[in-house]
Amino acid sequence: MAEYLPAPEQDVAVTARVRLARNFEDLPFSHRQNEMQGEECVRRVCSAVLSGEEGKAYTLYRMGDMDETIRQELGEHRLITGEMVSARHGAALISSGKNVSVLVNEDDHIRILSILPGMQLDRCAELAQKVDTAIGEKYQMAFDNRLGYLTAFPTDVGTGMRASVLLHLPALTAQRQTGPVMQTVSKLGLTLRGFYGEGSEARGNMYVLTNQASLGRSEDDILRSVTAAAEQIVAHERQTREKAEKADMLALQDRLLRSYGEVMHARIMTAKEMARRLSDIRYAASMGYVHAPIGALDELLMDLQPGSLKRSAGRELSDREIDALRAERLRRRLEEIGRMD
Amino acid sequence: MMCDECGVRPANFLLKAVTEDGVHEKNLCPVCMAKYQKKIPGLDFSGLAGILSGILESKAAKAAEPDNGEYDALVCADCGLTYPEFKKTGRLGCAHCYEAFKKPLEGLLLKLHGNLQHTGRIPGGLKSDASIRYHMEQLKQELVKAIAAEEYERAAQIRDQVRALSAQLEEAEKNG
Repeated sequence: MAEYLPAPEQDVAVTARVRLARNFEDLPFSHRQNEMQGEECVRRVCSAVLSGEEGKAYTLYRMGDMDETIRQELGEHRLITGEMVSARHGAALISSGKNVSVLVNEDDHIRILSILPGMQLDRCAELAQKVDTAIGEKYQMAFDNRLGYLTAFPTDVGTGMRASVLLHLPALTAQRQTGPVMQTVSKLGLTLRGFYGEGSEARGNMYVLTNQASLGRSEDDILRSVTAAAEQIVAHERQTREKAEKADMLALQDRLLRSYGEVMHARIMTAKEMARRLSDIRYAASMGYVHAPIGALDELLMDLQPGSLKRSAGRELSDREIDALRAERLRRRLEEIGRMD
Repeated sequence: MMCDECGVRPANFLLKAVTEDGVHEKNLCPVCMAKYQKKIPGLDFSGLAGILSGILESKAAKAAEPDNGEYDALVCADCGLTYPEFKKTGRLGCAHCYEAFKKPLEGLLLKLHGNLQHTGRIPGGLKSDASIRYHMEQLKQELVKAIAAEEYERAAQIRDQVRALSAQLEEAEKNG
């Protein structure tokens, strides 16, 4: 299947993402701006990004002009932040490949996000830095020789960079190994936490690994340390999967493939259950028990969230209708992409 | 000296606990010390990273002791944000707030990042010496790579760029 080229370490690493926080030197930070100053930020970012060589690839989305469903859909695809989904303010310049999103007037004037499947942090950084250079060449950024890029929250000062990898850790979770891993990475100045869901819950066994400090370490250092830790966790997860298979392959197959069966016959599917089922199917696909492109499974997890479902249906849907449509789409899509020996 | 806890193995560790009713000391063997490590969260010497972050944290904790309102009179002259407002929200009002609240922020930044000196990218548009030096370093690395890859034409171009930048730097130093 040509459209789903496998990405590096994709059996465990879902996506890599880099975020750069930037502010204009001469304007107050986003939350203390008036409307005109906010508009000026949008104008500057547009003029720098859209006039660049890849400017044609970007589309401007103004949060105030958009339906909540569209904002929700963008949020579900991680192209805008949760705050922008609910707040109605700000704007986003999103690349046609949906790999780069330049948020304007979020917590900072500019937040450049770049996201790619698998473990490609360096490539993400390149994409984000290209946009950063285009803006920085044209406008004076809030920058201090000692403290680096100045940001609205002191937690982001310095490089303004957060490098993260979304990891699928079903085997480590089942073995209750994620706690010790979290403790270990925290000693390296990194955090690992559940991605979907609240508190310590990691819905669908998805976790995000991110750097904590952004000042005093260069971008390359940050990328290197996050990548190195992610590689370690990937190896650890793979070993644990192999161990589970060695211990009782039939039981493992039985447990994972039951989810495949459920999905193929269910008529009502909540988002929470989908996350659990897709986690099992993803795990099964990585072990070769099911043949399905992992990238396609990851896309389903985003495409079948409420906002995206409502958008594709073209109308408002009740919770019940959403769950029914999700069950149907999931079944149809798996029939298309999935295959068992 | 034998371990105060088991009395069987020789003691290699001294555990000192400071509590309200004084200082308690115990000489412990590695086995009993391990038991204490489990009991007391944060007491972890299993790796170098643990020791380093332990030191950093204690240094940072000292730096970020809760201020007793001594900075509450500070106001950013540029955007009007007061220090108590910042304490409440954790958000600064503008780039100049970093200068206005420099003193109290240093402790906080040290706690958050364990560092106070930026190393990394510099804005593309800023024509500062630092920016030029940074670009020169980048180009020099590229030059080495180009030569290694026997791309001499590209190497020559990069070399010219480096020369131009270094001339620019000299010029700036003469004028400055």
